[in-house]
Amino acid sequence: MTWRIVGIEEHDAYMNMSIDEAILEHVKSGVAQPTIRFYRWSPSAVSIGRFQSMRDEVNVDRCVELGVTAVRRITGGGAVYHDYSGELTYSVIAPQSMFPKGIRESYEVICGWIIKGLGNAGIDASFAPINDITAGGKKISGNAQTRKDGVLLQHGTILYSLDVSRMFSVLNVSAEKISDKMIKSVEERVTCVLTQRQMSYDALYSNMLKGFCEGKEWEAGNLSGDELDRAAQLRGTYSSDAWNFYR
Amino acid sequence: MDGIYKLKVHGGKLVIVKIGYSDRIERIQILGDFFIHPEESLGLIEASLVGLPARSTREKLSGAVREVAEMEGIEMIGITPDAIAEAALLAMA
Repeated sequence: MTWRIVGIEEHDAYMNMSIDEAILEHVKSGVAQPTIRFYRWSPSAVSIGRFQSMRDEVNVDRCVELGVTAVRRITGGGAVYHDYSGELTYSVIAPQSMFPKGIRESYEVICGWIIKGLGNAGIDASFAPINDITAGGKKISGNAQTRKDGVLLQHGTILYSLDVSRMFSVLNVSAEKISDKMIKSVEERVTCVLTQRQMSYDALYSNMLKGFCEGKEWEAGNLSGDELDRAAQLRGTYSSDAWNFYR
Repeated sequence: MDGIYKLKVHGGKLVIVKIGYSDRIERIQILGDFFIHPEESLGLIEASLVGLPARSTREKLSGAVREVAEMEGIEMIGITPDAIAEAALLAMA
């Protein structure tokens, strides 16, 4: 089956999540090809996992002050700060039948594409179950997956640069914990592309694109009008307090 | 009474249980960075614990979760029935 590659786009957090779900619905109904999309978050955003509490995880007032949008994902996993300049995000949306039945195994398949991309960029990375990728023993990519009606959706981030202070300012970490020691502790566990190897954001994207496309039959494509219309509808849900604050 | 407990699952994710109870579990919310497939089934897991005696054994609570998980074909990643039971009991301790 030929993959559709939707090149890098910028949207706000609500629209990014809405587009992922709209594609999932269109793949499910058979009108969209299996799709890989790349995107950035504009403005910068925080996403929380499906089962997290927004108020527990996110400093909502600080987000408002900084113009950072906060959204609940359809997928599980943890809270992530998506800095506009600091990360590259991808989604893979395709029939489940194209992947191993086991969720853990399918994480490994898709994470393998990211590892290839990082390898292309000269960064030696490896899969760290359940859903992470590490470079030099530190996390460089986090990923989350859901499956709905026979369609697999996995999205995740590749950290390009790291600003721990900024990250802590929007996530709910108590003031006393935002110490130099704690920042150092995060820097000991998390890494980013720029720490591993100097390269432009565009170079990272180009290498990731190659990593994802290698060995596949693919074509460049755009989102259809129907997908965009549906995403605009779904945006209402993703931007609602009923969704974002339901836990 | 209300209780809360955060438990890091060995080799897994963080599980947070918020619980309201008297002699029985009256309400429970399971939060964290784990994965449950399908996602909507977390409500079934929570519901399986409501009404059980607050002094239940860990086996009783984890058994209730395991039973609903098996019946509904729920897959849990980074979280286990035992971890939920443990966190619930510690939230009521």
